Amino acid sequence: MLARVLLALSLVPALAQALCQPDGQDAYKVRLSIKTALGANAYEWNESEQFLFRATLAFAMRKYTGQETFNVSSVIVCDETPRVSFWFVVTNPNDTATLIPKNAVEEAIRLSRNRINSAFLLSDKTLQFLGIPPTLAPPSQPSLPVWLIVFGVVMGIVTTGILALIIIGFIQRKKKEKTIEDEDEEEKQERIMENGISCETLEGKDGVNNGAYSHDEDRLTQL
Amino acid sequence: MVEESRPSWENPMQFVLACVSYAVGLGNVWRFPYLCQMHGGGGFLIPYLIMLVVEGLPLFYLELAIGQCMRQGSIGAWSAINPYMGGVGIASVVVSIFLAVYYNVINAWAFWYLFHSFQGTLPWAECPLSSNLTTYVPECEKSSSTDYFWYRETLNISSSIEDHGGIQMGQALCLVLSWMVVYLCVLRGTESTGKVVYFTATFPYLVMIIYLIRGVTLHGALNGLKYMFTPKLSDLADPKAWIDAATQILFSLGLGCGSLIAFASYNHHNNNFEKQAIVVSLINSATSIFASLVTFSIYGFKATFNYESCLDRMQLLLINTFDLAEDSIKNNNLDDWISHLNASFPDKFATISSQIEGCDLESELDTAVEGTGLAFIVYSEAIKNMGLSQLWSVLYFSMLLMLGIGSMLGNVAAIITPLRDSAFLTRHFQKETLIGMMCLFCCLVGLSFTTRSGNYWFTIFNDYAATFSLLFIVLIEIIAVCYVYGLKKFEKDIEVMIGHRPHWYWKIIWSVISPVLIIGLFIFYIADYIMGGTPTYQAWDANLGKTVTKEHPPFAQAVIGLLLVTSMMCVPLVALITFIKKKKEQARESKISTTAS
Repeated sequence: MLARVLLALSLVPALAQALCQPDGQDAYKVRLSIKTALGANAYEWNESEQFLFRATLAFAMRKYTGQETFNVSSVIVCDETPRVSFWFVVTNPNDTATLIPKNAVEEAIRLSRNRINSAFLLSDKTLQFLGIPPTLAPPSQPSLPVWLIVFGVVMGIVTTGILALIIIGFIQRKKKEKTIEDEDEEEKQERIMENGISCETLEGKDGVNNGAYSHDEDRLTQL
Repeated sequence: MVEESRPSWENPMQFVLACVSYAVGLGNVWRFPYLCQMHGGGGFLIPYLIMLVVEGLPLFYLELAIGQCMRQGSIGAWSAINPYMGGVGIASVVVSIFLAVYYNVINAWAFWYLFHSFQGTLPWAECPLSSNLTTYVPECEKSSSTDYFWYRETLNISSSIEDHGGIQMGQALCLVLSWMVVYLCVLRGTESTGKVVYFTATFPYLVMIIYLIRGVTLHGALNGLKYMFTPKLSDLADPKAWIDAATQILFSLGLGCGSLIAFASYNHHNNNFEKQAIVVSLINSATSIFASLVTFSIYGFKATFNYESCLDRMQLLLINTFDLAEDSIKNNNLDDWISHLNASFPDKFATISSQIEGCDLESELDTAVEGTGLAFIVYSEAIKNMGLSQLWSVLYFSMLLMLGIGSMLGNVAAIITPLRDSAFLTRHFQKETLIGMMCLFCCLVGLSFTTRSGNYWFTIFNDYAATFSLLFIVLIEIIAVCYVYGLKKFEKDIEVMIGHRPHWYWKIIWSVISPVLIIGLFIFYIADYIMGGTPTYQAWDANLGKTVTKEHPPFAQAVIGLLLVTSMMCVPLVALITFIKKKKEQARESKISTTAS
């Protein structure tokens, strides 16, 4: 009796090992990058952490299938490396010789990915299930693109500025016209005859010869 | 009481700042550091400074003298120097119109990036996701998130210049805004321009100082600075270095466009422009050097970041493939590990050998970029990796905007001033209307640069509209002043204005050295063009995620030819027309005198 029990007990891990094969059909490889994620606060990967992993995975299976029969023993781990990577399989709680198919495991993990990550203080990038791509968070799209809002503000300021300057210029011109009309006729005459810089002379550009530059008068200065 | 005399700057400082604002533009930031890198780092300063003293300064002095003397825009000024030379002024205006049309598109892009900086994560920091939310968009993965944002989300560039695509709404809106900003700054003439330049001239320096402080404290910045300042004097033997130095000085100072003449025409007759010319030219060159310091520290940071990312990637690849402990491979023993693993597990190593990259800091630093690529891709890539990237992004693109708008003010002044000098136009149109119509016209033409192939047309304009033609114009300018008008007359004019004759140094440069230099540059350009074969351009291939070289189709080449010809033709054309007019007048006069007697 005892011998049979002992035989059965010794066979179980062997059986378990047989079920969990690297590159197995229903096996997944897990890779943890604890030091990258946590730096100085990194914890050691040991048997207890492994236990937590198997428990978390059992939780994920429970949540996905709704069956509360999954246990830590349902999850078998093998081929651990110093990288902290290993393969695992999930056995059917009703029939420990068969494995839960890959798709089901994948769906279960996807469903509870966040919870699994949080249990280990890791993220999708640092707790990798090879073959299960992480669902990347879509960037938040506000209803109106932010840039349009800023654009609207700046455009509004510039338009106001332009209108203000145009109106000021218009008002100034009207005022100038009024002051000119109010001036004396004589004064206006005087201004035209002045030899200073007056607008009328500036208008006749073709006729204005700057004495310093035009040397056509050379032929006139015979006296 | 004067009704409307020529407007003028409120004080000489406004004039100096206007010139600084015009001369210090995007070229200082994105062209000079590139040239430095291409031509031997610190050693490039030697030809650059020599060309500044021998070519840049004297020509700058010349243009300011003409503007202040003639007190008119370029058309009037050159007509006054000699009626046959009026075409030079018109050529300047034509080139300025080309410049104004395409240059403001850069401001539109700067606005676009600026507005997009007000977000939690910068949009060029991450690739967008494809529709199934598991992978990134393939075009983005093949290139990079910054490339993708520039080529796809900003430009939505087509694969070749023939493929027009439609006008991109975002770009068009930003372009309209840019023109409205320019209009706002110039619509009251020197009164408004004079105040705006206080800001556009000084703000970029503020940002550059902040960036310099941040830049040199970035991890890896010293690598870039070391790279820049180790002079490779052997590169100076290459004539290309000297030619690039000469052209850079010419274009950086904005000679030949008529903007300097326009600005100087608003000066007091006795303004000491000699001192100001020296000051502005030196500030311009100093800014170029300063900007390279900033750029090279950014380069160094980016190169180091990429290099270390490469090392990290290789580490990860190795420890994942061979299941080694996480911290077993460090940066310094990566190569040892690679050779060890290759020897011990050759089969397994062979499976990943295609993914092994040689991580090299030197090759990262060697990637020299100029132009819009530097400003919008390289810099934004560096910014996304800095802490507080939104702040740095806003600062940087505001600076680009100020530099661009400052230069635009000069361009627009070069067009507006001759138009306002024309009595016909001033009588029939108000100042604001005239300027408004000009801005509207340029904006509408500029919309063609906001189409999907717009960037390719932009590059054509950037490379051909204002390069060869400006050389030609500057050459004619010097010859006109020194030989047609007469150096002695010019000397006397300057004496009237500032009280003393120009030093013999200036005279020798004007009459001999500059013309020879520019003719040399001319010959080089022509030779380069002839030997270069069909002009090509860099087209973005969305499938490959990088640029490919393509030849310009015939209509694009025709446009290039048109750009060159329209401005240069003005000079002989106007001379011819004036000649014919004079002949007609002479014939009429002799007829009158014969009939009178």
